[in-house]
Amino acid sequence: MALVTLSTIVGWLTYSAFLSLMALGITLLYRTTKVANFAHASFVTVGAYVTYTSTITLSPNPYFGVPVAFVLVGVVAVLLFYAVLEPMRRRNSSTVMLMIATLSFDIIMLGVVNIHADYLTNAYVLPSRNVTLIGSDFKFMGQPGILFVALGTLVLCSAALYMLLNFTTLGIALRASMENSSLSEAIGINVSMMLAISWFIAGGLAGMAGALIPLWTQINPNVGTFLMASMFCASIVGGLEQIYGAVLGGLLLGLVDVVGTSVLCSLVGPWVALYEPVIPLLVLSATLIIAPRGLAGVRVRRGK
Amino acid sequence: MTPLDQVILFVVDLSALLAVYLIINVGLNVQEGITGIPNFGIVFAVAGGAYITGGLSTRIAVSLLGTQTNLDPIFDNISVLQLVNPILRSQPPTAIALLILFLIIGGIAGALMGLISSAPAVRLREDYLAITLLAFGEILNVIGIGYKPLIGGPIGVNVPDIFGWAGQYRFYAGTLVLLLVATAIFAYAGYLIKTPLGRTLKAIRDNETVARSLGKDITQYRTVSILLGSTLCGIGGSLWVLYSGAVTPTYARFDWTFLPWLMILLGGMGSSRGVLVGTVIFVALNKLIIYYKHAFVGILPFDIVWLNYILLGLITILILIYRPEGIVREKWTAPKQNLSAADKEVKAG
Repeated sequence: MALVTLSTIVGWLTYSAFLSLMALGITLLYRTTKVANFAHASFVTVGAYVTYTSTITLSPNPYFGVPVAFVLVGVVAVLLFYAVLEPMRRRNSSTVMLMIATLSFDIIMLGVVNIHADYLTNAYVLPSRNVTLIGSDFKFMGQPGILFVALGTLVLCSAALYMLLNFTTLGIALRASMENSSLSEAIGINVSMMLAISWFIAGGLAGMAGALIPLWTQINPNVGTFLMASMFCASIVGGLEQIYGAVLGGLLLGLVDVVGTSVLCSLVGPWVALYEPVIPLLVLSATLIIAPRGLAGVRVRRGK
Repeated sequence: MTPLDQVILFVVDLSALLAVYLIINVGLNVQEGITGIPNFGIVFAVAGGAYITGGLSTRIAVSLLGTQTNLDPIFDNISVLQLVNPILRSQPPTAIALLILFLIIGGIAGALMGLISSAPAVRLREDYLAITLLAFGEILNVIGIGYKPLIGGPIGVNVPDIFGWAGQYRFYAGTLVLLLVATAIFAYAGYLIKTPLGRTLKAIRDNETVARSLGKDITQYRTVSILLGSTLCGIGGSLWVLYSGAVTPTYARFDWTFLPWLMILLGGMGSSRGVLVGTVIFVALNKLIIYYKHAFVGILPFDIVWLNYILLGLITILILIYRPEGIVREKWTAPKQNLSAADKEVKAG
């Protein structure tokens, strides 16, 4: 019996694509606003409920909700930035205070999503917890469509982000405000606008990743919270200093998580699967002890 | 039940919650308020104290009381407790001794959890530490659900009734004990701030470089602070389990990390009095909201508890934006006799 089956690899690539999309946003925000955005968890949840709700009420095509989720969650992220973080930044709040603010925002969004889910059930008699859209996905070459869509989205988004940051004036202004915000302000870049744009992109990416999740597994209002440790782990494994490290971190964490669990299950016993949520913590701990700056921070020393 | 009984029951219940949260908030304040360690995962230490107490208390009670039984203390929990509880009910001193033993165990469990969760990042910058501690937060629930011999899996277990000797006044006695422990811990924390250790921790919070230049080992002091704070959180978790009489693997980030943060922010970080004020105001308000929530059931098309989430999140954000120092400002804590003329000027101005 093969230790690693085709379905394990499909699971790994899909899961990694989600993780990478989420980690990209976390790293981007860490670079621009110097804050670990704990509200990322609820961004993902909101995205998931956007596709779910739009599929059962408006359009039978689940992918219709994906762009909607990008825009909606992007706007939510900008709201968090302008309504909460920007006033705090102007008062010189510490990083820790900004982090609590994002955590509080996460709690608010958790309340909103739960109210939405309750409302779907009570007012429209629709199921809203532990639901999935796997049934309405298409098949391509015998594999679930979500595999190709998730990977395609990841490739497109990283490429678009790369183009934006390297070949446009806006991207150069964005990078300048990441590197040195006061100097950028001095040469006339609207730094707070640049930060807002980065929040829109990061929120949009998280919303899009969330929007694809119902096609891959069951969702409930805790789906983002449940993935929180994993997305931050992917971001740190990749290295918080390098945006594209996030993609690498997502692929690696997905590999250890999905393939590692599957191999351990067949070697040790199926009970291992219960402890799967521990894996990102072990990877995170190992990374912080061995290479605190993440994979992208590792420099190979060359011999003379 | 007469209205007076209802009021008394309400106050007793409120005081118990207040005592537990006061202990945990003092534990958080030692870390974040005094040392500046952003512990977003105190639920890890609280749940550690709670689950270890839940898992060990029946086993310890059985072996120390010499109960003859072939039943398993966790899987035949109810039957075993039917043997243990009458003995505890007839011997109050034994029950109190066991209580103290369980609190020590809870404290050690909390300290261990604090050490485990902070070890990977205690040397790194504070944001790495915050992310790591947050990530560890709810992981004990996974173990509590998966490893059944700990606390019986998802359904949880009951623990020996330590306050059974008080008969129908069981919850009154429990609340009294909780308040006593909380007062002792609160007094200790107030004393700690004035000791050399407390002042060193504050120095590290205010300026790490200066503290290091004075020969203080930052990593070591941060670890001490996490150990101290997590011990208190573990004791809080343990007390809550002993008071409520049961434990399930459902210790969530909202109840045991977010709310303590909200309370110390509300009262004022770093200040002992602030922690007390924040805890009293918050617990009383929240208990009132829960008490009156049944008035809304049926009117709204959703569970009222989510409105509570939104409200508390908004309050926290408003505090952060408009009054980040909280209700009570942190006080100057240097011993009076050592004040130089310059210091006095600073204090006066």
